[in-house]
Amino acid sequence: MNKNETAELNRRDFLKGSSFATLMTMLGGVELITRAPLHAADLATLVPFQLKCAVIGLGNWGREIIATLSRLKTAQLVAVCDTYPASLKRAANSAPNAKGLDDYRKILDDKEVQAVVIATPTHQHREIAIAALQAGKHVYCEAPLASNIEDAKAIALAAKAARKQVFQAGLQTRSDPQRRFLLDFIRAGASGKAVKAHAQWHKKQSWRMTSPNPARERELNWRLSNETSLGLVGEIGIHQIDALSWFLNGRPVSVNGFGSIMQWKDGRDVPDTVEAVFEYPGGAHLLYECTLANSFDADYEMLYGTDAAIMMRGNKAWMFKEVDSPLLGWEVYARKDQFYKETGIALIANATKLTNLTEKATDEAAYTTKPLYFALESFLINVNAVSSAVEDFSATFDVNDKAALEKYISEVKLQPAAGYQEGFEATALAIKANEAVVNGQKAVLPKEWFELA
Amino acid sequence: MIARFGMANPKPKKLMKRTRFVFVGTLALLPLLPFSLRAAGDWVRYNAVPNSSRVKVDGTSTLHDWSVGSTALGGYVEFDEAFDLNKPASGKVNAHCEVRIFVRQLKSDKTDMDNVMYDSMKEKDHRRLDYRLTEMTLKEAPKSPDAPFLFDTKGELVVAGVTNKAQMPVTMVRVGADKLKFTGSISVKMTSFGIKPPTKLGVFSTGDDVKITFEWLTAKKEQK
Repeated sequence: MNKNETAELNRRDFLKGSSFATLMTMLGGVELITRAPLHAADLATLVPFQLKCAVIGLGNWGREIIATLSRLKTAQLVAVCDTYPASLKRAANSAPNAKGLDDYRKILDDKEVQAVVIATPTHQHREIAIAALQAGKHVYCEAPLASNIEDAKAIALAAKAARKQVFQAGLQTRSDPQRRFLLDFIRAGASGKAVKAHAQWHKKQSWRMTSPNPARERELNWRLSNETSLGLVGEIGIHQIDALSWFLNGRPVSVNGFGSIMQWKDGRDVPDTVEAVFEYPGGAHLLYECTLANSFDADYEMLYGTDAAIMMRGNKAWMFKEVDSPLLGWEVYARKDQFYKETGIALIANATKLTNLTEKATDEAAYTTKPLYFALESFLINVNAVSSAVEDFSATFDVNDKAALEKYISEVKLQPAAGYQEGFEATALAIKANEAVVNGQKAVLPKEWFELA
Repeated sequence: MIARFGMANPKPKKLMKRTRFVFVGTLALLPLLPFSLRAAGDWVRYNAVPNSSRVKVDGTSTLHDWSVGSTALGGYVEFDEAFDLNKPASGKVNAHCEVRIFVRQLKSDKTDMDNVMYDSMKEKDHRRLDYRLTEMTLKEAPKSPDAPFLFDTKGELVVAGVTNKAQMPVTMVRVGADKLKFTGSISVKMTSFGIKPPTKLGVFSTGDDVKITFEWLTAKKEQK
């Protein structure tokens, strides 16, 4: 490297503080950080494994799943399925190498398919999920798992019995590295004693979908009927409520619900504006609000502690400290954003660890990926880990010892993800919360409500 | 099976001589020959016990030391029945042993790094690490029933499709009435197996030397 090159790199990269490799070259030394990113070129070209996947249910969310899987090099989408020809055709365009099938049983009969993602309407999950598990497929099932407790239980029990398979519930935030970082941060007591929580989801939209065919339109709008839908609190709120229960480290003991149809009086019986108040052991409450009639301030979650409030918005989070809270140290150097009269300290995964002085504490680059990406990425890694453990164990030991195999599987290290237990508990909670909203009453949540057996 | 008869050479040879006397008359019995051979050289077999063993591979890099491990060590060891565990004699021991480990069951805490390792080890073409014993010598007879057996061993180690000679001391202890636990370690070079030590340009490079340490539990095969 000649002097000019060094100077060039110096000006461009060192001041920007973004290139670690360059800094190393210039210092000619061993790097000192402990969280070194892997050299992109190596991991970008390496395809460690590829799993043959299928997506069942090709609505908006099913298409989002297809788009996400196509970005994951560990996934090979081999089949897509929907009973409605137009949906199938539309999805097939974005998955040109996948077979388009109109019956999910054809996917289950296909020995090639290792894993299925179920994104059908909630009330159709049970039949498909259980059949898929019985066919030996690994299953990613969207949340809520089901629209009633019997179905939710049946799915979770089938998943529990399928010891050699992975079952993941579509509670994406459980796999999101940003949220996992926050979890450690909050559990470590950085915000003090949790006193209350609040979450909202505001979006002005009808939630109604149109179709020229009336029968199809009824089918398409399953969300608008109490018979098939868990309403706003169950279909949308489940993710935010689950995340906050996770952060509060407990399950609610009761829920009060309120719901009205304020804007979309189009024959639906599912409220378009709801509030629910969850009571947690120890007395903390979570107020959840959701409306399809106003968009102000979109969606976020708040956790209020005696030392600080924490706000989570998508893949970002901030801490708002009390004046009498203890000094943590790192926040002095952290990025701060102004919210009207409040100053938010940006909570970024590496902000609390001043290990990498060459990198600016910035989250934009690392966390632009959506939670669904992380959830499906974890699912694929876990499916590969479990299926290769089963295969290799069986080829290593010439014993027909089921207990030994199950022990070996139980020791496989998995990526963070919501399993059947988390999926069942979140669904059970969503069912009761919706019941409270629809009846305008308090619903108690005894411990037995969350028991699987 | 072929290796088994090859290793048990002395005894079958004698037997062959004896049978030659009556060769013509017993031609019809020829198909039964393998049975008599087996009876002459009985072997006591111990199979690997699942979830009870551990292999660790330790290495270095310019960044930090690394380590991968697995509990899935399969295979078997078998001793000539003449080798009496209660009254062992020092010297060469007639034994066979094979150990196998699937490469992708070797894991560290970092999935990404494991993938780099599998790639370096050409896992897609060579899915297993194999070890085959070729020679086993008991250094000296254990002085008490609980004392460990100290062996010198020679064998072959197959990694990434390349076979190298592997020589190492191995300790054996009796566990309960019917189990044997083997421990040992060996240092090898990645390059000797045609493996290029993984590097991350500008981040780290790994050292060529790695140390394999193992603890392997086997249980006597039940007679059927």
